[in-house]
Amino acid sequence: MASPSEADRTEQIVVHFLHKTLHTVLASRIPHIRLAPRPSSGKRDRWFNLDLGDLPGPIAQHGAFMDPLVIDVLLTPRRDASESGAGEVVVERWIAQCVPWHGAPQHPHDVGSFQPRTYKKSVILLRSLYALLRLLPAHRIFRMLCSSGQPYNYDLGYRVYSFAPPFSRAEGADLKQYSFSPVETLFGQLVVSVQYRPSLAAFNLEISPLMSPMIITDYIGSPAAEPSRPFPSSLPNWASRPTTSQNPPRGFRPSAVVAPQFDRPHSWNAAPMAHHPLSSPHDRVAKVGSSPPEHYGRLGSNQRSLSDRKANFKFDDFRLSPPFSTSTSPSPPTLGGHSLQSRLQMETAPMSIPMSATGKSQMHRSPNLSDPFKSLLPRPSPRSTRPDLSSQESPSKSRSFRKTEGLSSGGDIYSNLHMYAAYKGLKDGPDDSGRFSALSSGGSPRYAFSRSSSRFSMQDDLDDTDFSYPFAVDDVDTSDSHTRSPDVKDAEYSSSHKSQKAAVGMLVHMLKTAPPLRQDQSCSSQSSDLNGEVSLNTSVLSRKTSDALEELQAYKEMKNFLLSESGAMTKLQESLQQKKRDKE
Amino acid sequence: MNCETFQLKELVGEPLEIREVLRCLLHTIVFHRALGLVRPKDVECELFELTYVQCGDHELDKKIEEKIDQFIAWVDKHPNKKSQICLSFYEVKNKHPSWFGNKTERFYWEQWYINLHVLNPKSHTKRHNSKAPLSTGENTSEEGSSRRTALESSLREVLFQIISFVNEKKDHIPPVQNSEIISFPYEISTPSASDSSFGWHADVLKRMLQTGHPSMLS
Repeated sequence: MASPSEADRTEQIVVHFLHKTLHTVLASRIPHIRLAPRPSSGKRDRWFNLDLGDLPGPIAQHGAFMDPLVIDVLLTPRRDASESGAGEVVVERWIAQCVPWHGAPQHPHDVGSFQPRTYKKSVILLRSLYALLRLLPAHRIFRMLCSSGQPYNYDLGYRVYSFAPPFSRAEGADLKQYSFSPVETLFGQLVVSVQYRPSLAAFNLEISPLMSPMIITDYIGSPAAEPSRPFPSSLPNWASRPTTSQNPPRGFRPSAVVAPQFDRPHSWNAAPMAHHPLSSPHDRVAKVGSSPPEHYGRLGSNQRSLSDRKANFKFDDFRLSPPFSTSTSPSPPTLGGHSLQSRLQMETAPMSIPMSATGKSQMHRSPNLSDPFKSLLPRPSPRSTRPDLSSQESPSKSRSFRKTEGLSSGGDIYSNLHMYAAYKGLKDGPDDSGRFSALSSGGSPRYAFSRSSSRFSMQDDLDDTDFSYPFAVDDVDTSDSHTRSPDVKDAEYSSSHKSQKAAVGMLVHMLKTAPPLRQDQSCSSQSSDLNGEVSLNTSVLSRKTSDALEELQAYKEMKNFLLSESGAMTKLQESLQQKKRDKE
Repeated sequence: MNCETFQLKELVGEPLEIREVLRCLLHTIVFHRALGLVRPKDVECELFELTYVQCGDHELDKKIEEKIDQFIAWVDKHPNKKSQICLSFYEVKNKHPSWFGNKTERFYWEQWYINLHVLNPKSHTKRHNSKAPLSTGENTSEEGSSRRTALESSLREVLFQIISFVNEKKDHIPPVQNSEIISFPYEISTPSASDSSFGWHADVLKRMLQTGHPSMLS
C-alpha cells in the first residue's frame, strides 16, 4: 500500500507532467507564447530538467489531474473578429493523460527506487515530445509566423479540453497518429499521443495583404508589458482563443477573471504549497484562472499537513530528483539530491555586480590616467624612497626647490632636463615625489618642488587645450597627502578635475617646447622658481660650446704652426743640399 | 546490465550534407540522454528544412564538431565508402583491485550506429557528365536537388527512428549519478584515418567483449 507521501509525490509528478506537456506544446506552436519575454525574476522551472521559461500569464483551465489533457492546435484563416471560429482546422491534437490502472492499482515492490525511475522516464518522454514537436509539419508554420514580422493569412491558435471531441470521418482520415511509450506511475500510466496532419501543403500560407498596419499598444511581446498580465482582450481573436469557443469544454472557466501571477511550486517559495490542490478552498478560488495545476488533483477535501508531505523515501542514489515542494523553508527538502538542489539554488541567485568593484577599477585606472608620463619616464624607484621624502623631510623643506642639491652632485644636464619636463607634466598624486626621486637617481638624490603657484599657471595654460579624456576620473587622495602643505592640498583638490586634461596638455607642451632644443628665453617666462635653473642650464651649454670653439681654434693654430714649421724645415733642407753640391 | 544497440537507417549524401546530418543526429541522441537541467536550443539546419535540438553544452558542441571533422577527414581519404559512426554511453566501474592496481572498466549500456554512405562529389558529377554531356548543368542541379530532398526525407525518418528507440527502451538506462547537463559519459567512435576497416571492427569487438557478461570473459 502506497504511503500518503508517495501518493502525494506521484500526484505532484503527474500534475507537473501534464502542465509541462501543455507548456511544451504551446511554446512550440503558439507564436505569442514563444515570443513572450522571459520574466526577469531569474527563477527557472526545473521540473523534468527542461527549462522553457515561464508561461506569460494564464493559459487554460483543466479538470482533475486524472482527466485527460487535450490540446488542439488550430490553423485559422485571418478574418474579422465577427467571423471567429469559421474555417479553423485542427492541425494537431495532443492528448496527455494519466490512465488509471485497470482493476487494483499495481504497487511496485521497490517503492524507493520506483518513483525516481518514473521521474527519469518522464524526463526522457518530455525530451522526446520536445524533439517531435520540431519534426511535425506544423512546426514549419510556427517558424514562419515567429520569424516574420508581417502578418500571414493564417495564424496558429489553440484550445484546451479535458475531453477530446471526436473528429469527423473526413478529418480523421487525414490524420496520422503517433503515441509515445507510456511511463508507469503509482496511479496509472502517463500516456502522450498526437494526431497530426502529415501535410499542410493545402494551406497556402502567404503574407496577408488584407491586414492594414495597426499598432497594438498592449502587445504582449512588448518589453513594457508585464508578462504576468492576463491575456488582453484587445488582441484579435486569431492571435489567441485559449478558452472561448462555441462549445466550451468540460471544466472550462472564462479567462476574463483576473488572475494573479502564475506561481510555480518551488521549494524556495515562501508558501510553496499555496498552489497545491489540497490547500484551502479559499486559496484555490483566489487563484482561479492562473494555472492548470491549480485544478488538477482534486482528490477530495483531505487536508494534509506539510510534515506528512515530506519524503519518506530518499533519492540518495539518484541525482535526478524532482523539485518537490515539501516545506516552507527555502532550504532543500530531505532528499538525497542535495547537490542538485544546492546547484539549483545557486543558479537562481541573481548576480549583482558590486559598485565598489567598478569604482575600484576606476580608482585603479586613475593612477594610470593621471600619470601619462609613466611610460616615458624611467622606472620609479621603490616605494621606500618615498617615505624618505615624506617622513624625513619637513613639509616646508619639501616645498622648497633645491637647485644646488640637484646640480652640485655633478649630474648630467639631461637628468635635470627630464626633471624639468616631468615637473611640467606634474599631476596631483602621491606618486609625484616618488617619481622625482626616481628621476634624480641619476644625479640629484632628492628633489622637491613647489606646487603652489607654478602649477596653477600651468593649469591655466592647459585649460586652453581642447583635449578631453572620455574616462576622466578624479584623482584619489591617498594617505600620502599628509606630506603636502594644507594650501597645496586645497589647490590640488580644486584643480583635480582638470588633471587629466592638464596631463596630456603638458605632454604636448613638453614635446613642443623641448628644453634641450630651445635655448631662447621663453622658458624663463615660466615660474620664477625655475628661472635660475633654466639660465644655469643655458650657461652650461654655452660654456661647453665656447670651450669647443676655443679648442677648435687652438687646433687650427697648431695646424698652421705645424704647417709653417714644416715649410721652414723643407727650406732648411734644401739650403743644406745646395751647400753640399757647392762643396762638391 | 545489457547493452542496447540501435542501428539507424543508412543515409546517403555528399560530405557537406553529411556534416549537417551528423550534427543533427548526434545532438538529437545526446539531447535524449542529457538528463541534467537543460534549456533546449532550437537549431535550424542550413541545408535542410529541419529543426533539431541542442542541449546548449559548449563542451559537447566542441566534441561533436571535432569528431565530425575527424570523420570527414577520413572520408576524404576513403571516398565513396560506406561507414559508421558509433555513439556509445557507458558506465565507469572500478574493477576489483588486482596485482596491477585498481583498474576502471567501461560498461557500455547503449550504442547508436549511424550508417552513412558518403558520396564523392567530384566522381559523382563526372559520372553524370559523361552520360549527358549536352545538358550537364541542368541535370546535375536537378539530380542534386532531388537527392537532397530525398536525403532530407530520410533524415526526418531517422530522427523519428531515434525518438521511437528512445521511447521504447528505457529500463536499461542507469541511474543518474551527477547533476551535470550531460548525465552519462559518452564516446563517439569514428573510423580513424590510420585504421583499416579491419582495425575498426576489431575496436568494436573489443568493446563488445568489455560489455559482455562476466561469464563470457571467463
